[in-house]
Amino acid sequence: MSRDLTLHINGDTYEFTIGRRLGQIPESETLLETLRERIGLTGSKMSCGQGACGCCAVLMDGKAVASCITLTAECQGKEIVTIEGLGNPETGELDPIQEAFLEHNAFQCGFCTPGIIIAVKSLLNANPNPTEAEIKEALSGNYCRCISHFQVIEAVKSILKGGEAG
Amino acid sequence: MKHFEHVTAQSYEAAAQALTSYKHAQPMAGGTDLMGVLKERILPDYPEAVVNLKEIPDSSYIIDEGDHVAIGAMTKLCDLEQSPLLSGGLKAVAQAAHSVASPIIRNTATIGGNLCQDVRCWYYRYPNSVGGRLMCARKGGQECFAIQGRNQYHSVMGGMKAGKTPCTLECPAGTDIPAYMEKIRENDWDGAAQIIMRVNPMPMLTARVCPHNCQSACNQCQHGDPVSIHSVERALGDYILEHRDKFYQAPASLTGKKAGIVGGGPAGLTAAYFLRKAGHEVTIYEKMEEAGGVLMYGIPEYRLPKHYVRDLIKALESMGILFKTNTEIGKDMTLDEVKSANDTVFLDTGAWKQPILGIDGENLTQFGLNFLVEVKKFMSRQIGKEVLVCGGGNVAMDVALTAVRLGAEKVKLVCLEQREDMPASAEEIARAEEEGVEIVNGWGLKKVIADEDGTIRGLESMRCVSVFDDQGHFSPSYSHETQVFSSDCIILATGQKVDTDFLGSRYKDQLKNAKGLIEVGEHKDTRAPGIYAGGDAASGPSVAIKAIRDGGIAARSMSSYMGFPIEAAKAEDSFLKFDEEKVSVKKAAVETDTPVGERCLDKEDSVSLTPDQARDEAGRCMNCGCYSVNASDMANVMVALGATIKTTKHQFKAEEFFSSMHAVDLLEPGELVTEVCIPKWEGYRTGYSKLRVRDSIDFAITALAYAYKEKDGRIEDVRLAAGGIAPIPVRLTQAEQVLKGQEKSRALAVKAFEKATETAVPMKENHYKLQEIKTQMIRSLEL
Repeated sequence: MSRDLTLHINGDTYEFTIGRRLGQIPESETLLETLRERIGLTGSKMSCGQGACGCCAVLMDGKAVASCITLTAECQGKEIVTIEGLGNPETGELDPIQEAFLEHNAFQCGFCTPGIIIAVKSLLNANPNPTEAEIKEALSGNYCRCISHFQVIEAVKSILKGGEAG
Repeated sequence: MKHFEHVTAQSYEAAAQALTSYKHAQPMAGGTDLMGVLKERILPDYPEAVVNLKEIPDSSYIIDEGDHVAIGAMTKLCDLEQSPLLSGGLKAVAQAAHSVASPIIRNTATIGGNLCQDVRCWYYRYPNSVGGRLMCARKGGQECFAIQGRNQYHSVMGGMKAGKTPCTLECPAGTDIPAYMEKIRENDWDGAAQIIMRVNPMPMLTARVCPHNCQSACNQCQHGDPVSIHSVERALGDYILEHRDKFYQAPASLTGKKAGIVGGGPAGLTAAYFLRKAGHEVTIYEKMEEAGGVLMYGIPEYRLPKHYVRDLIKALESMGILFKTNTEIGKDMTLDEVKSANDTVFLDTGAWKQPILGIDGENLTQFGLNFLVEVKKFMSRQIGKEVLVCGGGNVAMDVALTAVRLGAEKVKLVCLEQREDMPASAEEIARAEEEGVEIVNGWGLKKVIADEDGTIRGLESMRCVSVFDDQGHFSPSYSHETQVFSSDCIILATGQKVDTDFLGSRYKDQLKNAKGLIEVGEHKDTRAPGIYAGGDAASGPSVAIKAIRDGGIAARSMSSYMGFPIEAAKAEDSFLKFDEEKVSVKKAAVETDTPVGERCLDKEDSVSLTPDQARDEAGRCMNCGCYSVNASDMANVMVALGATIKTTKHQFKAEEFFSSMHAVDLLEPGELVTEVCIPKWEGYRTGYSKLRVRDSIDFAITALAYAYKEKDGRIEDVRLAAGGIAPIPVRLTQAEQVLKGQEKSRALAVKAFEKATETAVPMKENHYKLQEIKTQMIRSLEL
């Protein structure tokens, strides 16, 4: 028996059905698989697959969650935002966090960066003016093998009230 | 991920219904633990369906209820860490929630899921995709791999049983072998005796005759020799017999009820022991001159010296059990007479009858069991020169070895079975060959070749091509090939049958089944009310330990029948311990064997281990179970703060809920955690300390949840619970006792730590955990 599933992703609405037939989303499919393999949103990355590294983080109702351990079947009615949805689709303007990351070279290989930016967005949604300790805490579930952390913290601090980007 | 069905429940009732409508379904709260379990196929059972609990209305809340705070099971950890209600006396709750994993996880994970999460042991969680999942004891597999493997993150307080161990499962009597091994390691021989005698009142005998299948199931087989369980049992049995006054005591009070036991074999003696212990008057009616059955008459002296059997009988007599020997039921007394003299009767008449094979010249052969019974007679006259033993079981081995030791020039053993299918134990076969018995496999009996005067010349045999039919029933088939084995003495050890003639025609019709055995039910009850049966008479020829099991079951049933149910002995609930050094010894200590040339008929072949040797060997027992540590941070706080866990059906005190390694095991099918209620602990300073390698993601190496009530530097009241040190959260009550009423100081904290870890048994790689607990204890005082 198939059932309908409506996904809201980056402001767009996608209609699917859940089931085992070709083109349907099986119950066991993760949100990360749906994003990358069905919708083509490959900004969110698959790394540890256990929710430990943060590379697959997306915003669900404004909060960062690990899409690799989230079932797509459970996303009915949720607002999902991926790294691709942060910028302004009409003007092509990036989110201030993305701008700050570019400005501060806050990445090296960039694999973990979408997840880190999502985690920062999640933090700023709840707390627009975090302390450095709060920033570090909020990013404690995002691992970077290229050691970009220092620049990341600098970039985040730069966009806070009183920071260089204002 | 492998497919499953998915149901989103709109209420706990609907969730319960969905969960129970599948053979195996899994509830999912936040899913941060479960998704990993499913992805890695960690468990052998994969759910057919996952039931989503997240959408259940009104299941996520934090409410002030006056004297306590109630938290809905679906409340996310991120909401707990920031809740203003979880401050003051409940600060520990917020701190514990904050300590879990990372913000990304806490945005999804729920308190209910956290409390019900599965263990994080790296053997348990080993992914199936990388060479296959590890079936550890906790998963229904064999051993705990941490015992002899890497164990830096495992328990320092000992393990917990994960169901029955393989050795116990192999033992027909269900002996708790690891439990008595542990007592022997502690040098508590009386404690060990009590454990083994819960199911077996004659370990000094079983140790010598049992095929000890327990050993073939021993998890040490994966590393080297199995634990020589029978050797340790034998030393314990000898100890019990030496101190028999202590272990075979007359009951303190009598019930006035009477039990009659027909036949004093292992089943009858066992039933007598337990019935007498329960205070009944017990009479054993024994046909032979002495009680003991096969143990007295059928097992050769060199394997089981009769003085052990006689000493046991004496010990049983000293309990007040009455032995009427030379009393054959059906001849000297009728079963009706026994029945009217007693309130219940147990039949343990064994399997002593010679089966009729129907071959020519059968009357010229001897019956193996009779040969063993009458071996003394043979000692005074000449046994044949060329003895041929027919049969492949342990009786055949005993007969063959006895013939060798009686001085037969040549002993040959023929049997139907091929070598690997012989019913005799490998040890017995090896022993027979060691002493020169020639074993010829795959031949069946055709006829005895004899002179007219009855002098045996040999046996004509036919080639046996298969012993069992397609259904596995005994039904040998033969080819045309024949062979003559020359012999002047043929002994048939091809099985024994049950003789039910003693029952008299009325009881015989009522009690006997189609197989010629006495029909018994699960409780060893026969078709006649008040009459019970066990041992070979009810099951056909089998091993002593199975008869002992029957005797125990029958005693419980008979006592209940007479109105005095026997309460089952309770196993101890302390953590399991093993010897971290001796557990890795690969070689077993076994009895010293007499050299082949010096073995004889009237002396035991081997010498028992000394108590010290037995203790060392008991040290090799891994005390199999689960030696992991609990994963949930919230559980530690719930235990420290005396929370109540509410489910759809019950309420549990936190300590009770987390007394099981995986709390959900306590729940009924479909039962779900719905709420936790935590007393407010007003005026208490509470907190949660968690040590780990990395400050995010990692689970606790050790954790301490604490609540202190202090006044002017003095501790008025305290509650402590530690995580990461045992398979379950541990309330540190002894440390609490040390701290209560005392001035706060570092020295006091150290004293409390020492008391708390008095019974700690760190493994090879985790002694450091003790230092961590000490540090946490000191830090918790905020000096």
